[in-house]
Amino acid sequence: MDLREELKNLGERVNLPAVSRRQLLVGAAATGGLLVAWTLWPRNYRSPMLAEEGEAEFGGWLTIGRDGVVTVAIPQLEMGQGITTLLAQVAAVELGADWRQVGAEPVPPSGHFPNLPLAAHWAPMWANFPSLADEPDDWLVERFAASHSFNATAGGTGLAAYEGPLRIAAASARDMMVRAAAERWEVSAEECEVSEGFVRHSAHEALRFGELVDEARELDPPDLAPLRPQAAFEEPVFGEADAQTSFPRIDLPSKVDGSHLFAGDIRLPGMVFASIRHGPVGLPELFRFDESAVAGMRGIVGVIKSKRWLAAVAQSWWIADQALSRMRAHFTGPGALEQAVLDTELERASEQREDNFERIAEFGDPDTALAQPSFVRRYDIAPAVHVPLETASATARYADGRLELWMASQAPSAAQAAAAKAIGISVDDVVFYPVAAGGSFDARLEKQHAIEIAQIAAEIGRPVQLTWSRVQDLQATPPRAPATAEMAARIGGDGQPVAWRARVTTPPAMREMGHRLFDNLTPEAARAESRGKADPLAVAGGVPPYGIADVALDHVPASIRLPVTRMRGGAEAITGFFTECFMDELAFEAKRDPFLYRMALLGGAPRMAECLRRASRLGDWDGGRPGSGQGIAMVRMGDTPENAGHIACVAQAGLGSGGARVTKLTAAVDIGRIVNLDIARQQIEGGLIFGLSLALGSAVRFENGHPVPRNIGDLGLPRLADCPEIVVDFIPSEAEPFDAGELGVAVAAPAIANALFAATGLRMRRLPLLSEGL
Amino acid sequence: MSRMTVNDRPVEFLMDDDTPLLWALRDAANLTGTKYGCGTGDCGSCMVHIDGEPLRSCLVTIGEAEGRFVTTIEGLSGDRSHPVQQAMVAEQAIQCGFCTPGIVMAASALINRNPSASEADIKAAVPNLCRCGVYPRLVRAIERAGRVARRQERISAAPAPGISSKDAAREVPALASPNTGPEENED
Repeated sequence: MDLREELKNLGERVNLPAVSRRQLLVGAAATGGLLVAWTLWPRNYRSPMLAEEGEAEFGGWLTIGRDGVVTVAIPQLEMGQGITTLLAQVAAVELGADWRQVGAEPVPPSGHFPNLPLAAHWAPMWANFPSLADEPDDWLVERFAASHSFNATAGGTGLAAYEGPLRIAAASARDMMVRAAAERWEVSAEECEVSEGFVRHSAHEALRFGELVDEARELDPPDLAPLRPQAAFEEPVFGEADAQTSFPRIDLPSKVDGSHLFAGDIRLPGMVFASIRHGPVGLPELFRFDESAVAGMRGIVGVIKSKRWLAAVAQSWWIADQALSRMRAHFTGPGALEQAVLDTELERASEQREDNFERIAEFGDPDTALAQPSFVRRYDIAPAVHVPLETASATARYADGRLELWMASQAPSAAQAAAAKAIGISVDDVVFYPVAAGGSFDARLEKQHAIEIAQIAAEIGRPVQLTWSRVQDLQATPPRAPATAEMAARIGGDGQPVAWRARVTTPPAMREMGHRLFDNLTPEAARAESRGKADPLAVAGGVPPYGIADVALDHVPASIRLPVTRMRGGAEAITGFFTECFMDELAFEAKRDPFLYRMALLGGAPRMAECLRRASRLGDWDGGRPGSGQGIAMVRMGDTPENAGHIACVAQAGLGSGGARVTKLTAAVDIGRIVNLDIARQQIEGGLIFGLSLALGSAVRFENGHPVPRNIGDLGLPRLADCPEIVVDFIPSEAEPFDAGELGVAVAAPAIANALFAATGLRMRRLPLLSEGL
Repeated sequence: MSRMTVNDRPVEFLMDDDTPLLWALRDAANLTGTKYGCGTGDCGSCMVHIDGEPLRSCLVTIGEAEGRFVTTIEGLSGDRSHPVQQAMVAEQAIQCGFCTPGIVMAASALINRNPSASEADIKAAVPNLCRCGVYPRLVRAIERAGRVARRQERISAAPAPGISSKDAAREVPALASPNTGPEENED
C-alpha cells in the first residue's frame, strides 16, 4: 500500500471531517503550527474550560475573573511531578500575574489540548505502518491527537506540548487587557506594561486585571500574540540549592492537611464501595465462585461478575473485600504463569537472537568489526512492579444513560472511551472528572479499572467507588518488562572501544501497551498482536552517546506470557543499565579510570562531558579504585543531542549486614532551560530514589500466576532510613527544556552497580542487584 | 458497635468490631485524609494518633480502639498550622501527596513528644513508604518543624484553608473582593 492510500485509510479510521491538506499544513508549520492551531482549533474542538459569571475566558486556556483570580487549564495528570505548578507558572509569567492570584484547574480530555510531541513520539503505536513510525507527518499527528483528544501524560512531554499554546493564550490575554487599559486611559498600548497582576502606565494609577476583563473580552484576540522575549525560567546558582523558590507548588497546602481529593476520596450521596478480584497471570477468565458464602452478610449490596473479574459491593470497602475472600473465586485460562516458564521463554528467545533480531539502529559497519568481538557480556533485568502508593481507584455514578467518572489517568481519553464501550454508551455520555494520582510511575497509563467501574456502576445503579486491593494492584498492573542483553565490543589499540553492539532480548512492551491503550485490547490480545514484532521504543536509548565508529542496536522480540508495560525511566532505564555497566567493565579491562575512560569518548557530546566532569568533581571522584565503593554512570535521553536531557551520577555504596547499602548519590544534570528549579530538583531526587528502588528491589517472581512477594514490605523498597545522602547540581543551559522526571531513574542503577563492584570486586550483572546472592 | 473520640468528637461506629479503624474512618466517618496503601502495615499511609501514639489504622480494629482518642490528619490542626505541616510545605517535601498525611502523623507524634528530635530519632520514627522520593527533604523538614515547635523559627508556608476573598484581597494587591471592591472599608 502506498503512503497516500495509507493516510487516506487512517483518515477514515479516525473518522474526521474532510479537511483540505493545505489548510492543515498551514496549521502544522514548524513552530507557528501551534499558533495557527490555537486560532483554528477552538472552532473545531470546544475547550471544556468555561467562563463562569464574572470571568473572561482566553483561548480555552485560562480564565480571569473580576476578582483577579487567574485560572489555568491543566490538561495533564498531576501525579506528583508538579506539572500543575509548571503550567500555571508558564501562564503566570507570560501574563505578568502575581503568583498568589493564580489557580489551576484540571480539564477533561478534549481535542483542544492535544499532546503533539507525545503523539509524534508514540506514532509507531497508533499508526501501524513503518513509514510513519520513522518520521511522523506533523499533519497526521495533529489530526490523530486532536480527533482522539489525545492529551496523555507520559515521557516528560508536558512542557513541550503545552508551554507554547499556554504562552500564546496568556500573551493574548495580556495584550487584550493592555488594549482595554490603553483605551480607557487614551494612551498608546505600547506605553503600557504588565506586572504583578496590574496593567501599568507612567501617568495613571495601575489597573488590576479584574478591572479590565469585561472590556478586554470584547476585543479581538491579536493575530500574533506578543510573547515576552523570555519564557519562564529559573537560573541555577551553584551552592544555592536551598534557596526559596519564587514559584512554590500550588498543590501542597491541600496535600498537607488531607483535603486533597484522590479518586478514592470522592464521596457521593448514597455511594457504596466495591472491591474486586482478577485472575492470576495466565488464568484471565472467571470460572466459579461461591456466592452463597455471602448470603445474609451484613452490609453487602451486591455481587457482580464479569468475564474477567468478580466484584463485591458493600457499605464499606472492608465488607466488600471480606465478601470476596469468602466467595473464593477461581479463574481459568491457558495456564497459570510459573517463574520457570517465564525464565525459559526469555532464555529461549535470547538463545535464538542470531536468527530473530531486528536491527533498530546502525552506524558504520558494526557486523564486520564485531565478527570477532574482543569482549562480550550478558546482563539481565527481572520484571519490576510500579507500586504507586495509591492502588487503582475510581468512582462513578451512572444515571439516565450517562456515566460520571472520577479517576486519575495518564491517558484519560482512552479511559473515557473504554468506559463508554464497556457499557454500550457514547463517549459523549461519559463525563470525565480528572483527579490527581497518588503516584503512578506509568502504572496509570492502564485503564482496566475504568472499564470495571463503568460496568459495576451500571449494574449496581448507585454511585460506587472501586478500590483495588494492594495484592490486586500488584497482580493486575502489568510490570516493567524483563530484559536480557548481549553486549559486545571490539577494543582498539588504545584500549577504547571502536565497535559496539547491544542486542537486547525483551518483549515489545511499548507495542503491547499501545494495543491496550489505543486499540482497547485485553492484555492477552495485546500480547498476541505484538508477538514477535520488533519495537524500537522498547529498546530506546540503546545507542550510547559515546563517539564509537561502528555501532549496532538490535532488538530480539521475546514472546513471554507476562503482560508488560512502561515504567518511569522508560526503556532508557533498561538500556542505560546495560550500556553503563558494560562501559565500566571495558574500563576495568583496560585498567583505566572509568571516568577518564568515558571522557575520552565524549568529544562529540560536550554537554554530556560537562555533566560527567561536574559529577566527578562534586562527588569527590577518586578514580573508582577497588575498595573505594565509588561508581560512575551517565545517561542521555531524548531524540536529538541538542534537545536531550543529560545526567551523570557518582554513587557511593558498600555491603552491610543487611545487603547493599548506598550512602551517597551525587548527580550533575543538564536539562536545558529550567522553568522551576525546585520542582526539577524534586524530580531528580525522586528519580534517583526510584532508580535506587529498582537497583535493589521492586522485582517480582511468579508462582501459580501470582506475583511474589505479595506484600510491599518485602519488595526491598527504600525507606527514609535507607535513603542515601543526595546531592544534585544543575548546569545552566539555554537549550530547550527537557523533563527532569526520568533521568535519575535511568542513571541510578548502573551507578550503584558500578559502585558495588568497586566496593566488593564482584560484578553484578542482574537487576535487582544481589538478587542471586553473592 | 464501638465508641471512641475522633478528632475531639464522640463517635459510635455501627460496624462490626473487627472492622479496621482505617475503613471506619474512611467509609463511615468520611475522613478520607487517612489513606489505604496496603492494609498490611507496610506503608504507613494510614497512620493516625491513638492516645497520641502514631499507629497504623489498618492494623487496629474499631473494637480495639473502643474508648480511645483518635486523631486523624483532619483533626491534627484544622488550619495546617502544625509545625510539621508548615515545614513539609516550606521544604516542598511533598510530591503526589498520597503518603503525606501518614508521614505528617508519624512526624507530628514525634515532634509533639520531642521537638528536639535528632536525625536518628526522625529516621526511626518515620518508617513510612514514599514512592515519589521526598526522603532527601524529610529529615530537614522535620528538624525544621522541631525548631518551630521550640519557637526558634516561624514558618508561614501553607495558608489556612477557606480564606475569604476579602481577606485575600487585603494580602494580595492584584486581587479584589468582587462584591465590595477593595477600596471599601470593612464594617
